[in-house]
Amino acid sequence: MLSMWARSEVSDGVPVWHYDGVTARRRHPLLVTDAAGFRLIEDEVESGPFGWDALVAQAGAANERVYGLKSQPGWRIGFTGGVPAEIDVLLPHPERYGRLIDRFGLVRASAVLAVIAGFVVFIGVTAPGWIAPYVPSSWEKRLGDAMVGDFGGRFCKGAGGQQALDALARQLDHGGDPIEVRVANIKMVNAVALPGGKVVIFRELLSDAKSPDEVAGVLGHEIGHVRNRDVMAALLRQMGLSVLLGGFSGDVGGTFNALLSATYSREAEANADNYAISALSRAGISPAATAGFFARLARDEAKLGPARAALGYMSSHPLSESRERKFKAGVAASARYRPALDAAQWRALSDICKNDPEAEEGWFPG
Amino acid sequence: MDDHAVTHDQGAGESAFAFDGSWREFAPIAITNLLLTIVTLGIYRFWATTRERRYLWSRTRFIDDRFEWTGTGLELFIGFVLVLLLVFVPLFVLQFVAQGMILRGHVVAVGILFFLLYMFFFYLFGIARFRALRYRLSRSWWRGIRGGSDDQGWRYGWSFLWKTVVSYLALALMIPWSMASLWNERWNAMSFGAQPFESDARWGNLFLRYLLCWALPWVMAVGLMFAMIPVVMIAAGSGEPPGPGIMIAIFALVLAFYVLIPLAALVYYAAFMREAVGALRLGTIEFAFTARTKHWLLLFLGNFGLWLLALAVAIIPLMALGLLANFTNLQPGETPFSENSLGFVVTLVVLVIPFALVGPFIRYRTWRFGVTWLEAYGEIDADVLTQSTTRTPTQGEGLLDAFDVGAI
Repeated sequence: MLSMWARSEVSDGVPVWHYDGVTARRRHPLLVTDAAGFRLIEDEVESGPFGWDALVAQAGAANERVYGLKSQPGWRIGFTGGVPAEIDVLLPHPERYGRLIDRFGLVRASAVLAVIAGFVVFIGVTAPGWIAPYVPSSWEKRLGDAMVGDFGGRFCKGAGGQQALDALARQLDHGGDPIEVRVANIKMVNAVALPGGKVVIFRELLSDAKSPDEVAGVLGHEIGHVRNRDVMAALLRQMGLSVLLGGFSGDVGGTFNALLSATYSREAEANADNYAISALSRAGISPAATAGFFARLARDEAKLGPARAALGYMSSHPLSESRERKFKAGVAASARYRPALDAAQWRALSDICKNDPEAEEGWFPG
Repeated sequence: MDDHAVTHDQGAGESAFAFDGSWREFAPIAITNLLLTIVTLGIYRFWATTRERRYLWSRTRFIDDRFEWTGTGLELFIGFVLVLLLVFVPLFVLQFVAQGMILRGHVVAVGILFFLLYMFFFYLFGIARFRALRYRLSRSWWRGIRGGSDDQGWRYGWSFLWKTVVSYLALALMIPWSMASLWNERWNAMSFGAQPFESDARWGNLFLRYLLCWALPWVMAVGLMFAMIPVVMIAAGSGEPPGPGIMIAIFALVLAFYVLIPLAALVYYAAFMREAVGALRLGTIEFAFTARTKHWLLLFLGNFGLWLLALAVAIIPLMALGLLANFTNLQPGETPFSENSLGFVVTLVVLVIPFALVGPFIRYRTWRFGVTWLEAYGEIDADVLTQSTTRTPTQGEGLLDAFDVGAI
């Protein structure tokens, strides 16, 4: 089709359709080339000269080549009957996938981008774990204070209970900024580590525990999360996720609850268990009681029957059965163990909420 | 034919608007868009939208010439980043503040804060709808002329807020009024070339249909209560658990609820679009939208068919490769695919690709549907239709995109 244009015809002018971008009138000038570029001539009216590099290729119909002018929005020329070869080489190419991708070609650009994407995902998944240890403890503490406050008055202050708890924590924790352990008046068998070196034990865990040694094991686990900076990593991971997903929900409780049911990796959970076992043996407390605690939990899980498999798969905590084995294995035959707290301390701790009728009760709204 | 009078002959039987694209031309665009969106972790989607629109616009004819889309991916991307910075980052910070306040017992204050915040979002949503229309008009060209608006949409945001709230407070009975008046307000602020749009959609024409749609849930709820009386009597009288017949009846009722209510909404929406577009004028050109409820229904059934097709396309290869077994034999403490990370990647790809392609094709069908049923009558003087002097917005419809209503 291109060859049907003889040289003489091109110099006479190539018919194009044209909009000037000022009115909607469709014009039919001749495109006449010269040394500098081209002009458009219709009847006696001439416009131009325009340089070839002032043109931008536009999206036209299937068999149409349409060009705009960089400096004049709406200005268009269109070739309907094919473009002469000597003009064709001067015309810019239309953008296809985007300027950058067009330059490298679709296949090459996709391959390079895929490698970069894989790298970015890898960094994104692992970054919270690397960054967390470098976040200054003072920042984390300030963030934790701002987030947790006084837990809406839910902390129990029954006489002697807090002293007993602090005594327990002192035995298990060595080093770093002091960890603040409190009991919350919430009817749940659970304990959580929160940002800023805060550990909260929920009321029912104490009434469920058969001995202070069990509480020591659970507390050791949570202290392990604090010392391994797992809390900060979980917080970073959650921040990153909610930014990535564009996920604002306005659901304030959501963020907090997610942190409470903290999403640590299985590896982090195992490390926290190891921390607890070595902290217990250092303090001369037997891990056997904690193993018993997990044995009871395992019996509860067994009652769930077929759902059990799904539970073990869903939750980040390993099944209680395997944790029971681990704590049992931590009992040294030759060691001489002593109770984590004496009877009076243990009584004060178990009744810390009962002895404080003023503590607010229940879960948070929302 | 006179050179500057662009006429459309009503008697010719051909619509002033026509779409001559084909899904075979569109498919390569959708597929390469998906590929590039995946390898850029989603960033390409702004450029993907631009490519889709460039195609759809270029295959849409009005009278004797095609539309042209000149928006760019970068504009949409900038719009998105602005929304991220101005809306999501403050909101993210606020979430932590609110958390702290709740834990200190200031629950009421947080409630008020979030009520105000939601109102503010409502206001922003109104502005976003306005600006999306303005942006799209400013990037749509026909015969070298574009549309636009000089209005920034701030006032429209307020109108949107109070009219919507009032229409719901009036037991939702004033929704046709708020929809029609907001439509008019939006379009009366727009122009194409130097010519302003005019719109005078009337809600009175829609009210009877709306009432039908509004009353249906109540009628059905009352009907359900009466239908339950014999069920309860039989169950109480015999003292036996309800038989399968009753369960099927209840299931049928629930199904009817889920089918009939959207259908009633569609009956109203079809009427609304006919009224709204029919009330639109541009100089001497009048518009009409002729799709009836059954046409809308066919559109949605077709879209539903696309989802089913994607499901079939995804499941058949997974079954053939035996990869579904990874989900059915879960073991405690084991991650599925833990031994088979290649299987995991294959499963993900096989699942993602067909479902991710449904969206572009639904947009294609919706665009074709809109163009097919859109009509225009009248005459345009090409010399009088001069260039728009409105300021062109420099960023795309980021806000609307963020609220997830930027379908086309």
